[in-house]
Amino acid sequence: MKLIYERSVKGRKGYSLPPDEFEEINICDMIPEYAISKEKKNLPEVSEVDVVRHFTNLSRLNYGVDTGFYPLGSCTMKYNPKINEKLSTLDSFMYAHPCSDTKLVQGSLEVMYELEQYLKEITGMERFALSPSAGAHGELTGVLIMRKYFEDKGEKRHKMIIPDSAHGTNPASSAMAGFEVVEVRSNGRGTIDIEHLSSLMDEDTAGIMITNPNTVGLFEEEILSICKIIHDKGGLVYYDGANLNALLGIVRPADTGVDIVHLNLHKTFSTPHGGGGPGAGAVGVKKHLEEFLPAPLVSECNGVYCFEFPRKSIGRMRAFSGNFPVLLKAYAWILSVGREGLRNVSQASIINANYILARLKPYYRPSYDRFCMHECVLTGRDYKEYGVKTLDIAKRLMDYGFHPPTIYFPHFAPFAQETMMVEPTESESKDTIDEFIDTMIKITEEAKEFPDILRSAPHNTPVRRLDEARAARVPILKLEEK
Amino acid sequence: MQTPIRIIEKSRPMRYIPLTEEEKGKILKEIGVSSFEELICAIPEEIRVKNDLNLPQAVCEEELLEKVYNIAKKNANFFEMKPLVGAGAYRHYVPEVVKSVMARSEFYTAYTPYQPEVSQGTLQTMFEVQTHLSRLTGMDVVVPSLYDGASATAEAVLMAMRLTHKNKIMLGALLHPHYKETIKTYTAPHDVEIMEIPFENYLTDINELERNLDDNVACVIIQNPNFLGGIERMKAISDVVHKKQALMIETVTESLSLAILTSGRENGIDMFTGEAQSFGMELNFGGPYNGFLATKNEFIRQLPGRIAGETVDIEGKRAFVMTLRAREQDIKREKATSNICTNHALNLFAIDAYLSLMGKEGLYELALLNAKSAHYLREGLISTGRFNGFAYPFFNEFVIKAKDPVEKVSEKLLQNSLIPPLRLSELFPSMENALLFAVTEIFSREDLDRIIDIFKEGV
Repeated sequence: MKLIYERSVKGRKGYSLPPDEFEEINICDMIPEYAISKEKKNLPEVSEVDVVRHFTNLSRLNYGVDTGFYPLGSCTMKYNPKINEKLSTLDSFMYAHPCSDTKLVQGSLEVMYELEQYLKEITGMERFALSPSAGAHGELTGVLIMRKYFEDKGEKRHKMIIPDSAHGTNPASSAMAGFEVVEVRSNGRGTIDIEHLSSLMDEDTAGIMITNPNTVGLFEEEILSICKIIHDKGGLVYYDGANLNALLGIVRPADTGVDIVHLNLHKTFSTPHGGGGPGAGAVGVKKHLEEFLPAPLVSECNGVYCFEFPRKSIGRMRAFSGNFPVLLKAYAWILSVGREGLRNVSQASIINANYILARLKPYYRPSYDRFCMHECVLTGRDYKEYGVKTLDIAKRLMDYGFHPPTIYFPHFAPFAQETMMVEPTESESKDTIDEFIDTMIKITEEAKEFPDILRSAPHNTPVRRLDEARAARVPILKLEEK
Repeated sequence: MQTPIRIIEKSRPMRYIPLTEEEKGKILKEIGVSSFEELICAIPEEIRVKNDLNLPQAVCEEELLEKVYNIAKKNANFFEMKPLVGAGAYRHYVPEVVKSVMARSEFYTAYTPYQPEVSQGTLQTMFEVQTHLSRLTGMDVVVPSLYDGASATAEAVLMAMRLTHKNKIMLGALLHPHYKETIKTYTAPHDVEIMEIPFENYLTDINELERNLDDNVACVIIQNPNFLGGIERMKAISDVVHKKQALMIETVTESLSLAILTSGRENGIDMFTGEAQSFGMELNFGGPYNGFLATKNEFIRQLPGRIAGETVDIEGKRAFVMTLRAREQDIKREKATSNICTNHALNLFAIDAYLSLMGKEGLYELALLNAKSAHYLREGLISTGRFNGFAYPFFNEFVIKAKDPVEKVSEKLLQNSLIPPLRLSELFPSMENALLFAVTEIFSREDLDRIIDIFKEGV
C-alpha cells in the first residue's frame, strides 16, 4: 500500500483552523530569529478523504481480537467490551486536565480509588499504585521498591533470582534496577527446582521474580515453600501478574506469600492492547512496602479523594498519575463481570486451554503432559522430519483465518526449539475452538503430504512472508526526503 | 404452612463468556475429568479462595453506563471549562477523523505486530510516524512510541550513560518537574551524580552550564520550549556541551512548537526526546500520551523500544516489519537496552492521522496561531495593570506575575468556567504569585478578550 507521503499533492489540505483574527504580526516579533526554522517541516499534504481512506485500508491489513481467534500465549487476548470504549470517552473524563485542582476531578479520582479497592480484594494486597504504564513498567517499579526497601534497612543486596521460564522483561527489569540476574532452573515437571532455589538464595539476594501460573501454563505448586526459602533469608517475592487470568476468584496472590504484584490491566482486565499498548501495570504491595510505592497514590479522606505522596517513595515512574482511560475500562469490566463472574472467567479460560491440550496432544506433543492452567505449551517437533518448522505451522494458520499462537517461547522447556504457547482465554466459544483445533490437525496432514505449502505460507494474507534479515541488514527506518 | 420462597442470589449469565453449562460438561468429559476441580488439582487447598470475594454483583450494561455517567458528573464539566494551563499536557482540537481512526477495532484490538503478514496496518503506521517525527525533529531515526515524554527522557539518559560510560547528568532547572523526578527514579540504581543547571531570565544560564560542565558528564538535558515556555538557544547550549564530549539531549513537551523551531540537526542535538500528546491526543487526565526518542544513526543499536523497518515479502512487495530486534528484552533478556515491551502504540494512529491532516502548511499555521494567541493574552493581561510580565521569548506558554493573590485569580477564572494556570510558587519558591499560562487555538480572540475583561473589573 502507498505511504501517506506517496499520496501527497502540493496545496492539498486536510485541515480546518479557526480564523486568525489577530493583527498581522511577523513571526520574528514573537520568536527569536535564531530559533525559527528556515523551512517548513515537510509533512504530507493530503485531503480529509485521503486520510480516511488511507487508514480504513490500513486497518484492513490488520488482524485483531474483533477479527478472529487470537490465541497468543501469555498475552491474554480477550474480548474488549465496546461499552468500555464509550465510557472512557465521556467528556468530563476525556477533557480533564491533569493539573486541575483535585476538587474538579473527584469523579476521575473516585474511579481510581474504587478500582484500587477491587484490585486489593482480588489479589489480597494492601495498597496499589496505578501509575505504571505497562507490565514491564510495573516490574521495574516493583524491583525498584525492593531496592529501596533494602537500602532503607541498610542492607546491600545485588542479586535477583529469575526462573529460566520467565518472560524476558523480568531479567531486563532487574538489570535496569541494577541487579545481577541469577537464573533458577525448572525441574522435570516444568516448575521451579526447589533445591536449586535453596542453593541460590542467600543474604546478597534481594529475592525472586515469579510468574504464577508460570509461562508454561503450570501452577507453581510449591509456591509456599518458594516464598519461605526467600523470606527465611530476608528476601522479597515479586509476583508477575501476566497470568492472573487463571486465578481470579480461585487464588489470591497475597495468600501464596508474595510481597509485591503487578497486574496487566490490558490482559486480565480486558482493556485493549492497541497494537502494542497502551496498557496499565498496577503495582500492589503488602503493608511493609506501602511507603515505597511510586507517586502519586489516590487516597480518600471523609469522602474527598486526593493524591498522596508516600513518605519513602521510589519517586515518579512517569509524568502525571496514570493511563486513566485504561484504568476506567478495567474498573468497568470488573463491575460488568461481578464477583461470581470473575471466577467463571478463570474457570472458562482453564477449561478452554485444557480442551485444546487434550485434543491436540496426539498431534503436537506437549512439553509437559499434565493439566494446564489458562494456556498450554505444545510443540511442532514431530514435523521437523518433514522439513516443517513451527514457524511454518504458525504462518499456515493465518491462511485459515487464525492468528498464530506465541511461538518459540518458552525457550527453556524440553523440546524448546519448536514450542507454541496457546492461550484461548474465556472469550472463545466451543465452536471457534473446535475450528481452530480442526485446522491445527489439518495442518499436520498438510505437513506430511504437502510440506511446501507450509514452508511458503502464508498465501492469502495482505503480504507474504517477509525478508526480515534484509530489514535488519540495511535498516530503512523512514521515507527519505527528496 | 407454606415455606416462604427463598430468594436465591442467582448469578446473571455473563455475556463475555460464551461457554454454556452444557458445553462445559461436554468438554470436561472429552478432557477426561468429571469436574473442573480436577483440572486445578495442582493448587494447594490451603491457598484457595474459600469465600466469595467482597466485590459487587455483576451489573448489566445499562446499569454500568448509568453508574459511570454519574461518577463522571462529579468531575467539572471539562468540555466547557477550557484550560489556561498546559505544563506538559495541552488541549488542542482533535479532528473527528483522528477519533474515527483510533476507533477502528482492527487497530485497537490487535497485539504487538509480531506476525507482520497480518499487522501491516500497525507496522506501516509506525513507519509513517517515524518519518513524520524524523522530519519534525531533524533527527535520523526515531523510536516512535515509549510510554510518555518523561519515561522516554529517562530512557535517553540511560542510553547516554551506556554510550559514554560516564555517570554525571546535568538537568536544566527548567525541565518539567515530573521529567526530572522520573529521571531520578530510573537512574537511582546506577550510582549517578545529578546536577541542576540554574536559569536566568527564564532561560538556561549558559555560563553556569559551561562553568559546571566537566569530563565526567554523560549528558545534558534541556527542555525546549522549557517548562516556563521559554525558547532556549539550543545551538549555543549544544556547542558548549560538546566541548566536553557530553551528549546533548533536547526534550519537548509541546510538540506543536516543532513546526516552527529549528531542528535537532541544525542545533547539533544527539538525542531528541519528547511528548507527542499535542498531535491528536486528548488530555485524558494525564495519559496515555506518547513518548518518543530520536537520535543519530550512529547510536541506533543502543535505542530502547520498537522500530519498524522497510523490507519486501517473497514476492518482492514492499512491507514493514519490526527490526533491530536484537536490542529488545524478549531476545536479549538482562542484556537488552531496556525492559520496555508494551508501549503506547495505539497513539501512533492518532499522531499519523493528525499530522497527515494538518500537513506541512496546516501544522505551521496552527503553531503560528498558538504563538499569536498566547502573545495576545499576555499583552492584554499586562494592559489591565493587574499583572507584571517578563521579557523572554516564548511559544504558547508564558509566566506572568499577579499583583493580586493567586488564589483570588484562580477563583475568578474558575467562576468564569476556565481551568486556571499553574501556580509556580509550589515548584519554584522564589516565584511567588507567578502563574504559568498556556494558550492554544481552542481560545478565539473573543474568548481571550473576555478573559482580559475579567481582570479589567479587578478581582
